[in-house]
Amino acid sequence: MACRCTALDFARANARGIDVSEEPQYEVVWPLGRSTTRAVAPNTRGADPQRLKVGFVWDYLFKGDQMFATIGQALRHRFPGVELVDYSAFGNIHGHDERAVVAALPERLRSEGVDAVIVGVGA
Amino acid sequence: MRACSVAERAGVSSYAIVSTGFLKQARAIARAVGISSAWIAEYPGVVPNDSAEVVERKVLEHVLPSLLQGFATPAEALQEVAEPGPSDVVFKGALDEVQEHFTERLWTDGLPIVPPTQNRVEAFLRWTDRDALEVIGVLPPEQREATVWNVAVNGVMAGCRPEYFPILLAAVEAIADPEFRLEDAGATPGWEPLIILSGPLSKRLHFNSEGGALRIGRQANSSIGRFLRLYMRNVAGLRTPPGDTDKAAIGMNFNVVLAENEDAVTRIGWPPFRVDRGFSMADDVVTVQSVVAISPHIYSGGSSALEHIEPIVRFMEGVMGPVSPVAITYRRSHPLIVMSPSVAQAFADGGWDKDAIRSYLFEHLTIDAGWVERYPLHASGASTSLATMVRERGLPAHYAESDDPRRRLPILIRPEWTSIVLAGEPGRNQCRVYVQQHEQGAPVSKKVRLAADAEVLRAPAVQEPEASTEATPTLHR
Repeated sequence: MACRCTALDFARANARGIDVSEEPQYEVVWPLGRSTTRAVAPNTRGADPQRLKVGFVWDYLFKGDQMFATIGQALRHRFPGVELVDYSAFGNIHGHDERAVVAALPERLRSEGVDAVIVGVGA
Repeated sequence: MRACSVAERAGVSSYAIVSTGFLKQARAIARAVGISSAWIAEYPGVVPNDSAEVVERKVLEHVLPSLLQGFATPAEALQEVAEPGPSDVVFKGALDEVQEHFTERLWTDGLPIVPPTQNRVEAFLRWTDRDALEVIGVLPPEQREATVWNVAVNGVMAGCRPEYFPILLAAVEAIADPEFRLEDAGATPGWEPLIILSGPLSKRLHFNSEGGALRIGRQANSSIGRFLRLYMRNVAGLRTPPGDTDKAAIGMNFNVVLAENEDAVTRIGWPPFRVDRGFSMADDVVTVQSVVAISPHIYSGGSSALEHIEPIVRFMEGVMGPVSPVAITYRRSHPLIVMSPSVAQAFADGGWDKDAIRSYLFEHLTIDAGWVERYPLHASGASTSLATMVRERGLPAHYAESDDPRRRLPILIRPEWTSIVLAGEPGRNQCRVYVQQHEQGAPVSKKVRLAADAEVLRAPAVQEPEASTEATPTLHR
């Protein structure tokens, strides 16, 4: 019969097979650091796409330009009232000046009046 | 996800397109930056392998429907989780039980760890004047605080000696520096950081800078090298599977510390590496940089500098050339040559110093333009002409002065960005080239700060012992 044990199962079984009652006990501390993450209040979704202004933000990789073109065409076909903002308005978020481009993104999103942003491509 | 985080904080709903193999990483990073509400639409498969027709079909059949669902789905708030305090005891048990506890929580690197008890951590803290709770930085991707305390905790775990602590702190300062770009350390190239130590501490703490300089074996080199990768796992949060955040496709093992051969560089009359990096002779300096590839062993012979440079050029062009398109795109490249003292002596005898070597390499390392244009197809799914890169992506104009694919372009970006460190077997004429990953893991140097009363670390180094079965004596404080 094929063994379905994981490596941890073997580790536990091995540990249970060793009498540790005579061994020293170690009180150990946490090896991680305090998390500084603070949750961002979720932004509203559910708006009628007919009234959305959607921006495309690209890392200039992984055929994102083709994907955005296909998505944009499909959105316009389904929701004639939707407005789209091309990725060229926001810069390359993975280029040699990535940090400056990403730092400028909030202002660019505001100036374009974007309601939602499609970001790609992670791969 | 960084762009999504920025958009969400600006009040704009974000929707990310992520391919299948990167979904877990994307969700983990979204949690880490506080935007678990970001919608992630899956692109099924591997993008660079899909034709234009397949991409269109997958976008219409999978990505678009997911995006439309996201538009209509209310976002949920992130649930925050309580975590221990820095010096809280999180577990009590025997040695094997500690190993299991840490392994289950992905707090180890797969090797046994030294249990980080409070007294062991405090033994490290005696080697610094800094407050244990001092925050050195906040490390991506998990956005956790790097503190003097948790550097000591992980130093204990890695098997470091307490007297190594100032070096550990300098190494963490380096990776916490924004110039290092730690946020890119989980990318698919799978580069590995390398610590380079230059200064008098190297001999005082018995680092190996001679034969087998970059092989595991000497406690100082090995344990500190292990420490840095362990720290990146635990505090930066970069974990390979079953973790989510380190997407190295194949990856590399941790590098032991490269310790410069101080005696050799002094004897030859070249400036030591720390002086190259802008520090003084009296300083101890830790430099951390990425390594994404290592050349084969490079033998060079002959009695002239030109004879010795030829194999270095050939091997360096061979190992750097294929990935040079990315370095050219990002306009960063910091290769490192680890050079045996005997090779350095040959250059010096021929009247060449480090700058002469750097200049020659800058002039002679080239790659054909056609490869620079074709390689992006393999790395990211689409080839790109140099003319487009000049016009749309800020590449300097001279890269597109001709459209001849056979024309040769320089591989190196700036001559002064090539590092040369003397180490390795002095009795052998060998070098190796360590290829650095452009702007990711750019070299960052930090001075090692010793405690005011750490006289034992300022005392002249004792003569290196001959091979002995006795353990290296521990320095006590």
